[in-house]
Amino acid sequence: MSILAVRNLKTYFKTPEGSVKAVDDISFDLKEKEILALVGESGCGKTVTVLTILGLVRGAQVYGSIKYKDYELTKFSETEYTRIRGRKISMIFQEPLSAFDPLYTIGQQMVEVVCAHLDCDKESAKNICIEMLKEVQIPFPEKRFDEYPHEMSGGMLQRVMIAMALVTKPDIIIADEPTTALDVTIQAQVLNLFKQLQEIYKTSIIFITHDFGVVAEVADRVHVMYAGKIVEKATVSALFANPLHPYTKSLLKSRIKKEFKNRTLPYIPGNVPLATDFPSGCRFHPRCDRALKICSQKEPPEICLNHSAVSCWLYVRGDEK
Amino acid sequence: MILSLRQVKKYFPVRSGIFLQTTGWIRALEEIDLDIEEDKTIGVVGESGCGKTTLGKVVARILRPTSGKVEFLGEDVTGRVSKDVERKFRRNIQMVFQDPFNSLDPRMTIGEILSEPLEAHRVFSSKKEQDNYVKELLVKVGLYPEYLSRYPHEFSGGQRQRIAIARAIALTPKIVVCDEPTSALDVSVQNQIINLLQQIKTEYKISYLFISHNLDVVYHMSDKLFVMYLGNVVESGESREVFENPLHPYTRALMNSTPSWDPNQKRLQTVKLLGEPPNPINPPKGCPFSTRCTIRIERCDKEKPQLVGDEKHKVACILSEV
Repeated sequence: MSILAVRNLKTYFKTPEGSVKAVDDISFDLKEKEILALVGESGCGKTVTVLTILGLVRGAQVYGSIKYKDYELTKFSETEYTRIRGRKISMIFQEPLSAFDPLYTIGQQMVEVVCAHLDCDKESAKNICIEMLKEVQIPFPEKRFDEYPHEMSGGMLQRVMIAMALVTKPDIIIADEPTTALDVTIQAQVLNLFKQLQEIYKTSIIFITHDFGVVAEVADRVHVMYAGKIVEKATVSALFANPLHPYTKSLLKSRIKKEFKNRTLPYIPGNVPLATDFPSGCRFHPRCDRALKICSQKEPPEICLNHSAVSCWLYVRGDEK
Repeated sequence: MILSLRQVKKYFPVRSGIFLQTTGWIRALEEIDLDIEEDKTIGVVGESGCGKTTLGKVVARILRPTSGKVEFLGEDVTGRVSKDVERKFRRNIQMVFQDPFNSLDPRMTIGEILSEPLEAHRVFSSKKEQDNYVKELLVKVGLYPEYLSRYPHEFSGGQRQRIAIARAIALTPKIVVCDEPTSALDVSVQNQIINLLQQIKTEYKISYLFISHNLDVVYHMSDKLFVMYLGNVVESGESREVFENPLHPYTRALMNSTPSWDPNQKRLQTVKLLGEPPNPINPPKGCPFSTRCTIRIERCDKEKPQLVGDEKHKVACILSEV
């Protein structure tokens, strides 16, 4: 059962340089109780996708449909959104230090969330928050409750942010690169905690990252994005066992392995295209080593295979090209 | 030997109160010994706050050590030095920084950025020769000569890092300190830059001090490896040896914490490392890693282990002595 269905979503920004098609016609489903990873490099539109879902893109033109349960989010007014945002769909941001207000204690910030969404007074809200802090394994939660963000380390703050996202028991959590700013040993701790809590709370999670290693560790399904498009959708095991799109293939190949020492590393030539200036046809074709003639002319259709769906001309049969 | 550090310490004062009295010290580096040989890459790996950037800055003489000795081609360059030595030092040791968005002056064109070191050291007598050399440099790092009149904001992260590398090698230095040169870049561009650094190394016979938090990248680049934790080198040696046979519990934890890239062999659940690195103002008395170590014994809390072993592999852990 899908809890969130995105269909033909387009998010365009008007700039003096022309229209920026940050997200261009993507469709996907988030199933109940799954972790869906959105993977891609900077500027591929993964953050804009989730900001659009949360209605946080001011001044952008949004087309298509975003369906959460029976609600059509694209038709929502600002007041309707505030009832869902934070309560039913909450978000975890990348930079823990800049996501908190430095002038309030983390306790005050958590209580604010609880009082806004759950029907309770400040005293019981405090108890709920401290319980939650315990659950994300913060030592001395009563003491930490009255501390300011600058008094805590990045790993600690990210735990608080997870606590804050979970405290309203939402249906969906959107995590935007939650461990990118953390050290690997801390990342391991936070990811493990994340998995544990997901099993307890049965939340559906959209997990944004650029690190395929993290994807393999946490996700159930993966969508690979490139230049505003989803180029490949697959289950985690299918993606790592049998990647289909040339972009996914080269990304997986470019992992630095032990055997590569003293040799040239495999790489993808060129740079990620700018959003104002996407190539025609398949947007990956200038960097693709298997590009055909048609790739530069027409956008590839999405081809569904067993456990995957891929947008690439290589998988279209000859007579349909 | 081009450069050697002996027992180098770097402490930063912590000041507080109205008169900004020194109330404590951040112990960023503790008695580090490091030798940089010709045409050899030394890799330094560790998490944030372990002192790896401070080490890079001490090597590049951006920071002076609190105590210890730094020797460059047989000359003592720890403290103040004569202008000639300073000049020779600056010419031979260059740096590539982590963030290419902050390390290039936004108001200078690429041509000006690359000419500046050449003019400062009066390498060329005629402007024309210099211009030709700058163009060659750009081609060498995989860019086009037409880019000379452009400004940094017109380039992507990977291209900017190429420019930063061109600036670092302009004076054909003996050592280039690379402080996380790829961590601000996209996955698909990261390998391009690593390949470029390798290619330049073969051509110019440069020694790198390669600093990164990514063990895989450091292993790929380096001949020798230093693992740092809380200002201390906890393990060092030939990189193949250290990588294949890690002895220090921290090195092992670091290797296990790197995600596996294989959904059938998830690795993170096996990580048992608890807590976070302690504050360097008030480090543990004994082994710096003792607060998080899973196999520590009582002695670890009291005694600080020394780095022992042969040139091939050294480790600072009491348990390995037993």
